[in-house]
Formats: sequence, C-alpha cells, structure tokens
Amino acid sequence: MRFHTVIVGGGLSGLVAGVTLARTGKRVAIVSSGQSSLHFNGGSLELLGALPDGTAVQRPLEAAASLPEEHPYAKIGVSRLPQLAADAAKLLATVGMPMQGDVSVNHYRLTPMGVAKPAWLTMGDYVTLERPDVLPWNNVLLVNVAGFMDFPVNFVAHGLREMGATVRVEELDVEPLAARRASATEMRAANLAKSLVSGSAVSRLASAINEVAGDNDEVVLMPAVLGLDDDHAVTMLRAQVSKPLHMVATLPPAVPGARLHTTLRHYFQMLGGTYLMGDTVQRGTFEGNRLTGVHTAKLADTVLQADNYVMAGGSFLSRGLMANYERVYEPVLDLDVTAPTDRAQWTRYGVFNQQPYMSFGVSVDRQFHALKGGEPLDNVYAVGSILGGHDPVKMGDGTGVAMLTALAVAQQIIDN
Amino acid sequence: MVNEEIYNQRYDVIVIGGGATGAGTARDCAMRGLKVLLVEREDFTNGATGRNHGLLHSGARYAVTDGESAAECISENMILRKIARHCVEETDGLFITLPEDDLGYQSTFVEACGRAGIRAEVLDPEEARRLEPSVNPEIIGAVRVPDASVDPFRLTVANVIDAKLHGAQALTYHEVVGLVVNQNRVEGVKLLDHGTGRTIEVHAEVVVNAAGIWGQRLAKLAGVTINMFPAKGALLIFGHRVNKMVINRCRKPANADILVPDDTVCVIGTTSDRVPIDTVDDMRVTDEEVEVLLREGEKLAPALATTRILRAYAGVRPLVAADDDPTGRSISRGIVCLDHEKRDGLAGFVTITGGKMMTYRLMAEEVTDLVCAKLGVTAECRTAITPLPGSEPEAAAETTPRFGRKAAVGRHGTMAHQIMADTMADRALVCECEGVSVAEIKYAIEHQHVNSLLNLRRRTRVGMGTCQGKLCACRAASLMGRLSGNVPQAEAHLGEFLDERWKGVKPIAWGNTLREAQLTATIYQGLCGLDKALARKEDKQ
Repeated sequence: MRFHTVIVGGGLSGLVAGVTLARTGKRVAIVSSGQSSLHFNGGSLELLGALPDGTAVQRPLEAAASLPEEHPYAKIGVSRLPQLAADAAKLLATVGMPMQGDVSVNHYRLTPMGVAKPAWLTMGDYVTLERPDVLPWNNVLLVNVAGFMDFPVNFVAHGLREMGATVRVEELDVEPLAARRASATEMRAANLAKSLVSGSAVSRLASAINEVAGDNDEVVLMPAVLGLDDDHAVTMLRAQVSKPLHMVATLPPAVPGARLHTTLRHYFQMLGGTYLMGDTVQRGTFEGNRLTGVHTAKLADTVLQADNYVMAGGSFLSRGLMANYERVYEPVLDLDVTAPTDRAQWTRYGVFNQQPYMSFGVSVDRQFHALKGGEPLDNVYAVGSILGGHDPVKMGDGTGVAMLTALAVAQQIIDN
Repeated sequence: MVNEEIYNQRYDVIVIGGGATGAGTARDCAMRGLKVLLVEREDFTNGATGRNHGLLHSGARYAVTDGESAAECISENMILRKIARHCVEETDGLFITLPEDDLGYQSTFVEACGRAGIRAEVLDPEEARRLEPSVNPEIIGAVRVPDASVDPFRLTVANVIDAKLHGAQALTYHEVVGLVVNQNRVEGVKLLDHGTGRTIEVHAEVVVNAAGIWGQRLAKLAGVTINMFPAKGALLIFGHRVNKMVINRCRKPANADILVPDDTVCVIGTTSDRVPIDTVDDMRVTDEEVEVLLREGEKLAPALATTRILRAYAGVRPLVAADDDPTGRSISRGIVCLDHEKRDGLAGFVTITGGKMMTYRLMAEEVTDLVCAKLGVTAECRTAITPLPGSEPEAAAETTPRFGRKAAVGRHGTMAHQIMADTMADRALVCECEGVSVAEIKYAIEHQHVNSLLNLRRRTRVGMGTCQGKLCACRAASLMGRLSGNVPQAEAHLGEFLDERWKGVKPIAWGNTLREAQLTATIYQGLCGLDKALARKEDKQ
C-alpha cells in the first residue's frame, strides 16, 4: 500500500500531523497500537508550565525564549511558536473541540487532587481558574457519584477550601449508575460515561443535582464522567442543571482525553485518512538515508510505503521508547536515542525529583529529521513525546510539544 | 485504651521491637499472665521480618552446615503449619542440582536432612520437572523437602492481635530513646512518640530487647555492648508467580539460590554482604546485587529472564558477630538469648537476637522462659499448641465481601468474619489486583494499628499487586483521609507510599518496570499534581 505519509503512532501528535496533512488532500495512514497518553489527560493542553529549574511560567511564549537548545520549542524556533500555537487552537476548533484559553498567558486547570496546574487550552465544560490560588466562587457544591472511588472527592474539596471557598459535598445515588455498582470493576469514569448518554439518564442525573443544590451554591462541580465521544451529554446536562456546572478530571481512564482522541480520529477518518487501529509497526526497510517501507504486525506481507514517515509513538509509557538491561532504544527503526549508557544515570532516588529518563528521546536535527547511526534520515521525522530534551511531567509542556512539533513537521512536509 | 492510659500502667515486661520476635514474645508473655507492653519505633514488620523471602524453611538449607539450626527449623515449621495455617502455604520445596553443581553433594545433603529429622525425598529429574514445570530443565538431580511459604506480615500481626487479646498493650511509632536505669537495674524505657514528638517514661520489671539489628544501638543505650554483625540480604520480587514450589540449589548455601512463591508473586534472594551498622536504616539495593540475583535466579527458573520485576528490597540479618567471616554465612543462625544481669551485671534487661524469622516462636519461648524465671512466674509456654487468631478451626462467615472474599480470608483467616460488609459502599473494591475491599481497609484501620498507607499495604496487600498502587493507592489514601478527617496527612502518606515504591523500583528500572514508573509519574504528578499538593503543605509550615 502506498501513501504520501505513514505516521507511526496514533496519539495526539500522530493525529495532529495526520489531520494537517490529510486536510491538504494527502494520502495518509496512521498505525496505532491503541495506547495513548491522552487517556491520562484531564481536559487541558499545556504549552509550558515551568522552566527546567522549576520556575513557574505565566507567559509561556515569552518564557520559551529561555529554554535550552535541546528543547523541542528551541528546535522549532521561538519566533514560530505563536503562529503554530494559533494553528493548533484553530485545528481543535475545526475538528469540533471548543477550548478556553489564551496563548499569551497561562490559566489553571483543576486536577483530580484539587490542585491548580498551568494550562494553555482547556475544554469548554471544564473548570478554569485565572490564578492558581483563587477561585471565582465563594460557595461551591461538589457532587460525586456514590461509590465512584476514582474521584478523591475529599482531596478536591480540601484543595478548593485551601483556595478560600466554602465547599459542600454531596453524593448522588442515581440510576442507571447505581446498577453499575454491583460489579466492583465497573465504577470507572469511562464506564459511567457509557451509562450517561441517553436523554433520560442525563435528565435523572440533572434532577438529582438540582435536588441537592441549595440557594447559596454558586456553582456545581462534578467528576468528568460524561462525554466520552462528544459533548452532547454534557451540553444536555448543563442545560438542565439550575446552576453553572463544570467538570473536574478523574483518575484514568480519563474521559476528556478519550474524547479529544476520538474526535481527532473521527475527523482524520472523515478526511479520508487510513487509521490502522490495534496494529504496530515492527520494522522498516532502508535504501541509504531513506526509509522505503514499514512492516506491521497484522498486515503480514503488505508493506506500507510512503514518501515520508513520521515517528509519533510516544515515550516509554506508549512503547515509542523502550529500555532493557543494557540500553534505551527506539524499537521500530532503532533510531538514535539521547540517553546515557550507564543505567545508574537513568533514574534518581526520590520519586518527586526530576528523573533523567523523562527527558530521553529520539535524536533529531533542527528540521526534526530522526537520526540513525549519527546521520539524519531524509524522509523520517520524529514528533511528540518520542522526542527528548524536556521533562513533560515537571515542565508541563507534553501536549504542547506534541501539537506544535506535529504541526511544524506536517507543514514542512507540505512545503516540500 | 488511649495512649495516656497505656503510658501510666506499670508493666511486668516491656518488649522492644515490632518484628516477628518482639510480637511473638509479647504474645508468649501475655499468655503466661504477664502484663505486657510492646513498643515499635515505626510499623510492625518494618525491619528484617518484612524484608526476607517469606520462606517457611524446612531446615534443609542448613542441614549440612548447621544441624542445630536445621532441627530447630523443621520443628518450628511443623508447629507454624498448625498454629498459623492462615499465614502458611504448603508448597513444598525442591533442592535442585544443575550440571555445573556436584551431584555427589546430594547424598551428603539427604543424609544430613535425615539426621535433622527433615523428610528428604530424592526425585527423578523428570518427576521434578513434572511437579514444577518452571524449574530449569537442565537439572540432573532434585530432592523434595517440606519447605513452604509464609506471610511474615500476617504472622506478626496475628501475634500482636493475640497478645492484645491476652491483655497486652502495643504502641507503634514509639521509639525507645533511652532506658531508665537505677543502680544497675533497668526499670523502664524512655519513649519518643513520633506522632506528638513527646517523650514519656514507662516502667516495667523487665525490658526485653527484641529490636533485631537495632538491638546493638539499644544495648548501648543501656550501657552494655553487643557486637552485631549486620549482613545485608537483597531480594527481587517478580510480577507473577512463576513457580508453585520453593526452588533451592542443592549445594553449600550461596547467593541468590532460593526462589519462593508468595501469594501472587515470587521472590528470588538473597545476597549476603556485611554492611556498616550506621547504614541499616536506609538499605538500598545496588546494581551489582541486581545482576547477581538475576543471573543466579534464571538458573533456578529460566522464565525469570522474561518476567517483569516488580521491585527490589533488602533486609539486614541481626546476627551476632563471632568472627571476621565477610560472607556471614559460616555463622550459625542460632538463637542468642542474653541475660544482661549475668553477663554485664545489669538487672532487668534481656536481649533476644540471632535466629531467623522462621524460629521467632522458639526465640520468644526462650526469652519468655528467662523473663518468667526472673519474675518468679511458673506458667508454661502454650504458644506451640495454641492457634493464632485467624487460624482457629472455624470457617469464615459469609459477611465478608463477595469480591475479594477469598483474598480477605487468605489474609485474615478466620478473622475475616469480622470484616463487616453490609453495604454496597463497603463491598466496593479499592485494590483490584489483590482484591481489597473498603470493608477490609476499615477493619485494618480499626484493629491492626494502621496509621498510614504503608501500614495498610503491609496488613492488606493494597498496592502490592502487579499494578503497584497505580490507582488503588489514591483510592485508599482518599478513603483513609475520609475516615481520619485529615486530608493533608492522607496526601502526605500517599507521597510516602509512592516514594517507598520508587525506592524499590529504581534499582530495576528498565523494560516494563520503567514504563510503569513513567505511567505512575504521569498519573500522580502530571494529571493529579500530587507533588504540588504536597508542596502546598510545605509552604504553610
């Protein structure tokens, strides 16, 4: 099978690159194992939350100028970031994901532990704060679904009270969610969301919320257990609840991240893109500095051939990078990886310390050509979390790097 | 009883150390009618008791080199199968001979087992491979012995519970920072309560030092000298149960030659290296130890090469130094019971050390005999014939949660009927890997001295399964915060739990283990911002 571009990895970066290319009419295939770090995403995208030394960032575009040269933003070129960020926001609006947020100044999202973390874009129905320590409300009604343990409601309440709010917590025992409780493994955010699709189910939930809402409550916050595929259920619920209603992310599987993933994938497929779900690319064939084809686990003898290849397989958690007893490696093409050979230097004691392995990644040149044997490959690019040079957990820049590197590379491929 | 009332009692005996030996001693003393206080500076089983194989030795390992220890082991082995059946899994064990080993050793070994009273049955290698499919197929010889696996956490807590049922008091997070000495007689202990930061004096006729490797420091506080021989042993836990029988090497005891199936996992160990006494509070497993454990472990069961390693840990054996042997293996694992009145002219103070987790009950019996002699008490020891709570001959009632009922009965034995799960909320599972319900957590908090998530892990195995606490740690922390009403403390305990897990993961952080570590960091720090929640607390202080 022949394509203009084959993308290895169907998470945020792979899909953004795929959509960008497919919109210009290119024939694009994405091979996805089905795992994506989006399943741990709480409904926000982040550009830059902190510098490598831990300094908090308020204005990400300005702060990006001080990033070290190995950071993907520095490789893109700081002057190009505003345009790429605008393109990214536009792309999300186009696919049907309305977001809140302003690229020039970070806002804050509310985490499942009631902590405010810097964000760039947040889904329309989720909590956003202008400052990390102040809430826009004095009286908050925090509701949870009875028996749902993946939303530590007392941690969230504590966090909100730390920000000065008066918080009331109510548990809702609503059919059809109550039925799920009979089986211990059913009370997961994604399962609840599947039970909250129909108009009648949503109406029952709305009534239950309205019953407990008091005159003093300015806002209702609830765990994100609606809207797995789209925002219909959330929109219905918000229309029926008597108070302003916002979602707060839960422990994984995270409903908002799944929605973002599904929305991008559907849009890509609507554009005619080929999305090979549940398959993995196992190896490639080279001619000199060019990759001529890749082989997948399921397609047997059928080789996927393309003019360009984009490696978007993510970091260790998505198996885009791997490590064994001896080394860190990229498992598909054995691309060069920046990581010390001494295993003792991959990690440090202290779980909350910066961990070196978080910054490992595939080596690239300034155009994001992947390196193999020290030489850049002509038609192989790397984007997203497979790139090193930054620590997404400590710097709060993972989804930003994913979107912006994917856009930069896709536009470069189009320009070529 | 509130702590204040506990402090103000006058005791016959204060037992220092919440390992198997201390807990067993508290039980024995209490069963003989003594008024007992058990004190532990951290959590029960925090020392060597909680950092070993979980092997119920048949004694075969020591048969050739140390007949006395071997005989003690097989005798205690048979006793524990009866009195602690809910802590023991009767797996049996193999002693295998590999092509690189001397098959001639097998007959020496079998003879020595016979002398010690250990059943040792020579098997055809084919038969051994059939009985234990995970064993190295290259074996040229195998001997079957009555090894088993034992849960030291469960065993210790059952002893504490029984001591309390017989009137004893127990305090965790209470550290002995000094002894009350009056004219060459120890009359009590100075306790630092780590919860409040207060120091209290508590008085007793006799003080028992059962503090394991920390016994040397404790003796120093009393002004007497014991030279301990801190021998570090490192072990690796694998993500599933590869073997169903214990697998040993049939040769002189060496590094990494025992693989034990424990619950849902299996454990390879150990190494043996002398370490400085001042390092015993923070044992870290080195890369060299990991290499030895893997290399030797794969020889026992080749499947280990491709099995995910869950974590690495190390304990320190409290041996009493006798010579300068750097390996620590030629020293007898024999029990050392010191009467400091006779030895050092210090009355009211005794030390019980050496030995093994395996012989904790016998150690407790010996030191209790000594304590009773000092107090003029003639009651006989009944610990060898009285089942521990959880092991009485009685079926667990049906009130235990449906999900995880088997697991809960496995962990708590007949005590599982006390786990009340009348409501749907109580029946919900917090930890799916290990089948731990809300009700079981509530039970552990109420009855088993659970102050933190780490304590809870030891009592219920929450977060000990293959996911290593990915979601259940947060669920359990939130539940504990709800029950205690102290959210910042629950968050701090969650942070400590994750850091403790990481300490065990760091030495083996490659492959899927590294992948899981990144996943955990992505969830707890990236998605949840736990690090920021903890920093928020620090800012305020």
